[in-house]
Amino acid sequence: MMSSEPIERRVSYLGDRLRGRRCQICGKEYFGTKDYCGNCGRKSFGKMVDIDLFYDKGKLEVCTFIDKPTNRFTKLGNYIYGIVSFHNGKIRVPGRVTDHIVKDDEEIDLSDFEGRNVVPRFRRRYSVGRSDVIPTISLAFTFADEYYPHQEYAIMKPNREYDAPGIVGYGVYTSKFRIRERNIERSVPFIDEDAITASVEAGKLALIHSRVHSSLVGKVYVGSESNPYAVKPIASKVAQVLKLGEEDGDMQGVDAIDTEFACKAATSMFKDAASLVSYPKSNIQYVMVIGADNSQAAPRDCPGGELDLFVGYGGCAYVFGKHDVIAEIEGWYSCTSDTPDFWRRDGEPYPMHGGRFTGDPAYFKHVRKASKKLMERLNLQVEDINYFVSHQPNVRFPVRVAKELGFKEEQYLPSLQVAKFGNTYSGSSPVGLAAVLDMAKPDERILIVSYGSGAGSDAYSLITTRQILDKRERQKLTVKYQADNPFLEYVDYTTYRRLKLGM
Amino acid sequence: MQNRPAIIAVGRTKFGEHYEKEPEKLIEEAWLKASEEANMERKNLEACYLSDYFLPITNKLGLEEGFLSELTELHVPMEVTRSFSSALLNACNAIQAGRYNVVLVGGIEKMTDRWDKIRDDLMLLEDPWSYYAGCTPEANHELMLRAYIKRYGITCENLKKLNLALAQISVKNHLHATKNEYAQYQRKITTEHVLRARKDARKPLGLYDFAPISDGATALILTNEELAEKFTDKPVYILGASSATDYLTFSAREDMTHFLVSETAMKDALKTSGISLWDIKIAEVYDQSTVMEMISLEDLGFCERGKAWTYIHDSCKDYKGYYKMNGRKLFVNMNGGLKADGNPLGATGGAEVFEVFKQLRGEAGERQVKSDGKLKYGCVLELEGFGTKGYVYIFGRD
Repeated sequence: MMSSEPIERRVSYLGDRLRGRRCQICGKEYFGTKDYCGNCGRKSFGKMVDIDLFYDKGKLEVCTFIDKPTNRFTKLGNYIYGIVSFHNGKIRVPGRVTDHIVKDDEEIDLSDFEGRNVVPRFRRRYSVGRSDVIPTISLAFTFADEYYPHQEYAIMKPNREYDAPGIVGYGVYTSKFRIRERNIERSVPFIDEDAITASVEAGKLALIHSRVHSSLVGKVYVGSESNPYAVKPIASKVAQVLKLGEEDGDMQGVDAIDTEFACKAATSMFKDAASLVSYPKSNIQYVMVIGADNSQAAPRDCPGGELDLFVGYGGCAYVFGKHDVIAEIEGWYSCTSDTPDFWRRDGEPYPMHGGRFTGDPAYFKHVRKASKKLMERLNLQVEDINYFVSHQPNVRFPVRVAKELGFKEEQYLPSLQVAKFGNTYSGSSPVGLAAVLDMAKPDERILIVSYGSGAGSDAYSLITTRQILDKRERQKLTVKYQADNPFLEYVDYTTYRRLKLGM
Repeated sequence: MQNRPAIIAVGRTKFGEHYEKEPEKLIEEAWLKASEEANMERKNLEACYLSDYFLPITNKLGLEEGFLSELTELHVPMEVTRSFSSALLNACNAIQAGRYNVVLVGGIEKMTDRWDKIRDDLMLLEDPWSYYAGCTPEANHELMLRAYIKRYGITCENLKKLNLALAQISVKNHLHATKNEYAQYQRKITTEHVLRARKDARKPLGLYDFAPISDGATALILTNEELAEKFTDKPVYILGASSATDYLTFSAREDMTHFLVSETAMKDALKTSGISLWDIKIAEVYDQSTVMEMISLEDLGFCERGKAWTYIHDSCKDYKGYYKMNGRKLFVNMNGGLKADGNPLGATGGAEVFEVFKQLRGEAGERQVKSDGKLKYGCVLELEGFGTKGYVYIFGRD
């Protein structure tokens, strides 16, 4: 099976964002970029305005159960499929319900699903060959009254400019599936999710939280070590779907790039983002940094399989800027050494690691060094820091390093999320930071220290502002909400491996 | 209708799985039957109108015209469309315009060669966005049923009755097919079969609600009114022929509980034929699913909207060979319908015409309907896609 690149481009351009048109004369709406209105005819040429349903809430009008999908959908097993209406029925689109596993013995009453509000979700469309372009679409929906609520994207003009750049908004996305083993829970992607979809979701939530117009985001970095492509950026997909930068025809006036440095691929770019928004001639008001991974691990009985006990799935996005900042960046320090503790060769599906070597000579050495150096530079004592966040490959490492550095439980426990989501690789310490930002008070100091194998650490000191409280209510999908959600669905090991492998 | 086209002979193959036969063998068989019946030679044909929905995709045969030319060793004009009714409509237009006097209309499909991907190919009947969103060939039928249930507020006992009525459609069509030597399935089924299949699949419609995957070919010979009598003393005239088109995307249509194309084409065909609806006693409708048969009865005007299932249910409690609608007898899908006769897309419409032709000539054998008074008129409804195109023909003996 081969991909048609032009078809893929056109379908995902429309389908990822659910683009449509509205006739300005009569108000009729269309899915797809229709040039004139059927009601108004020729006089509507040039009077059709672009709309999209990406942030909208739909209603599942009617549905049915698909027990025998067509060939490219067979990996989904079965699913609910139906017709979704938007804008009070003005526009109707076909859609698949995703994140929903129908059990073999479960009775299905379609009226349980019909009439409910749904949210469009950006997902993989269907299975293709390993060398093909990965098809995506947002004609996948989840119920708004379940794990993922509908949230409006309400854009606001900023009202305060800060001297130092910092975090303007953020979003954490993890899936609704979990595996629970040995006292730790880990997030598991649905079969149509991957690092690309998590990046888009996290970015979307960060925009919702920051209320920044997406056109003002001048650069986006996506750090990941599980991009399903060896060559093709996740960042270009994020930029297009989220309409980052000024829209010009079918292109976005934005710089987009993927970064890779094991689990510090995203945190490394925080300083670049902060620098870009501070540089007067950059003309960039906001920069987005995303860390997302469908963390890879070989099956348990294979070499490198130890990771299979800890890997999670999820993404975290931060918007940096100088306006309406919720946490200013006080300073940073990074260190690097050529330490081969964890790696994945090109073409290999799973990473390998150095066993005991990943501890003292790798993780601890770098995290300690970056933390101490930054504290030294900023002349900080342990007591000056309210929260300590570190990379979380497991529960043991971050706790041990925090204790060694002299931090107390109340300083490091709030950020410790690995037991809820597993190790989300590039998203790991960023999710820990988000958990802290979800609860921090104004004028508190946060020390975040990432770790990326191979190896290096980035330490940042952040000081929260008063606006952190104002923005808090904007985000329903907080870290805690996703960790303790009543709609979480637990799967067994076999299902976890199948879902993780994807379509 | 001026200068009425007349069918002088029909032919068809058995529908089903013909794994041993090349597609051209099937059309040869259908054509030979029709030509024998009319006692005519190839050289009489002035043009051929053919149809196949996706032979180029299933069998990598791109130009059906070419292999028919090779088969018949004729070099007359030939045109291929996607449904038998579409081919017939073009043939009618040509005959009426006086362009040709004798033409062959043929349809063919070879679906069972590609069990591996036939359901994917069938998605060509629907819009690509539905496919991208995970639609299947069956899904829209079920969504239409769900929309119908909601629109007419059918609940509780009535809902049970509706579901049973749909099952009875399938049972009735299987019963009819037992008397059809060409039918794919010549065996009786019960409502329990239909209901159990739905239950097993946990879906509103199950295996027995849908037409099967089939191979087959059909053919007929069309002439003008004058010439017809030279070939046969029992020509069947086309009194009304009409088609209509609707959006490819089901979800974009205003009303999801009926097919606009059927209603439009029927109204137009009735107008041209100059007969009234209830002069029609036999209707071959396009039951790709049981829902389609039910909806079609409403679309064609045989009963009011939202009510077909009540008539079906009452008629089938003690089935006498016809539906009783508004106090009148209506014979529907006497060949077993698409459900039991089979549904080789490009040939299907030909089987519908075949049946009405035989019935109107009193040559339907065991299937011959026993109408009150002379059986004078019959109609055929064929759809392309999920109601994207609709064709209605009204036939009569005089």
